[in-house]
Amino acid sequence: MLRRNDFIERSLAGALSFLKEAVFSDACALDRGFLQSLDPRIKIITFVLFIIRVLFTRDIVILLFLYALCLALAYYSKINLGFFLKRTWVFIPLFSLFIVIPALFSFVTPGEVLVSFSISGLKLTITRPGLSGAVLFTARVATSVSFAVLLGITTRHFALLKALRVFGIPQIFVFTIGMCYRYIYFFMEIIEHTCLAVKSRSGAKIHYKRGQRIVAWNIAYLWARSYQLNEEVYLAMLSRGYSGEPAALDDFRVGTKDWLWLAGVLIWMSLSFH
Amino acid sequence: MHIPDGYLGPVTCGFFYAVMLPIWAAASKIVKRTLQARHAPLLAIGAAFSFVIMMFNLPIPGGSTGHAVGAVLAAILLGPWAGCIAVTVALVVQALLFGDGGITAIGANCFNMAFVEVFAGYYLYRLISGSSPVTSGRRVIAAGIAGYTALNIAALSAAVMFGIQPLLHKTAGGQSLYCPYGLNVAIPMMLGGHLAVFGWIEAIVTALVVKYLQKHDPLLLETGGGAHDENHG
Repeated sequence: MLRRNDFIERSLAGALSFLKEAVFSDACALDRGFLQSLDPRIKIITFVLFIIRVLFTRDIVILLFLYALCLALAYYSKINLGFFLKRTWVFIPLFSLFIVIPALFSFVTPGEVLVSFSISGLKLTITRPGLSGAVLFTARVATSVSFAVLLGITTRHFALLKALRVFGIPQIFVFTIGMCYRYIYFFMEIIEHTCLAVKSRSGAKIHYKRGQRIVAWNIAYLWARSYQLNEEVYLAMLSRGYSGEPAALDDFRVGTKDWLWLAGVLIWMSLSFH
Repeated sequence: MHIPDGYLGPVTCGFFYAVMLPIWAAASKIVKRTLQARHAPLLAIGAAFSFVIMMFNLPIPGGSTGHAVGAVLAAILLGPWAGCIAVTVALVVQALLFGDGGITAIGANCFNMAFVEVFAGYYLYRLISGSSPVTSGRRVIAAGIAGYTALNIAALSAAVMFGIQPLLHKTAGGQSLYCPYGLNVAIPMMLGGHLAVFGWIEAIVTALVVKYLQKHDPLLLETGGGAHDENHG
């Protein structure tokens, strides 16, 4: 939540990185790799199962296997592994690694001593449960994030959101999520234009209190525009046949490869739980 | 505030999904009943608005910047139930498409930000505002206090979730399986930053946006996008 540097540059960079990431994800999702060829509904079910398995396991071997599987899936889905590792490790797993460091030591996790040393006269002891807990925690977070990111970049975002219906999520939610996603792009464009306009008019230095007023004004303006937009969108929906109940086209097709993949994952899941 | 996958154990994740299910069901039922047909797209627009509020960086003393969560603002503008749906949708999009916040932790994250923060903020705002006119300065102060307090209540809720992990999930050898810090560490760590910095950012953003809307389009604060009506009865 806390960042340095210029607030306009930061807001602009945030909006641009969102657009860049969304465009890049869509480009990855259009590649002809293994995961891209799966039905989004089957893919979302199997990835949620993987993430649940990661959550439940207490065994580092299973975690490492799942992480290796995730990397292999990324490779066979034509995802650049350098990009994938950077995208998944920055920021959450690295942050998790950083915050778990105190838990290595006996003052947080007492137990069998592994190694002791002194820093400026302060004696520190790393314990076995502390180390194994920290490794398990970081590996769990990194593997979960990797699966979540892989799902996001190998599925077209709109198809992924539409596929949520497979979990029995009410149509009103799926409809709202799909529309929300489209409006995020529109709002990002407004933010980008507003930030550029503010930047070109405000000069290099702005007192933070004035900066806060500018940001608040921008948010208020965005809401006012959003509200006006509602009326126009509703009229556009009516002109396209909206009758009060949202309807979605179901153009997904499950093939043999999807069933084989689902069966393979389910068999491995049941074996790994035993 | 966005809890990633792996920080909370299965019991906590499952529990908060179970807690949120009736809240989401009630929210969709109430919103469907009270939202006028012509305001149907407003939920999606409100959700997108909740999502992008986090893109606005606010300058703070010392040259740093920070961003607000915006849940209280969404609640003031849309009403608590529509605000709950809007923030939920924003959190789901963040978790599924951008890996920001865990998929298994969606229930817990929604409990903190789409339920606790939204409802605490909304009702605190209403309580402090009393029957003051929509353009009164009291409402600006109410929005600021609601933003600050609700964010900290939500942070406390997240801290408790983290802090109970060592109690719920630990091996016989003392090895922690999820977040390794107890309540004595998790609560001061989470609340420290939120009480000192992030709460103020939330308060400033919420109060100033309400102030600008009072000046330029007070109707937006009065109607709450058509989703408010059930709360004004």
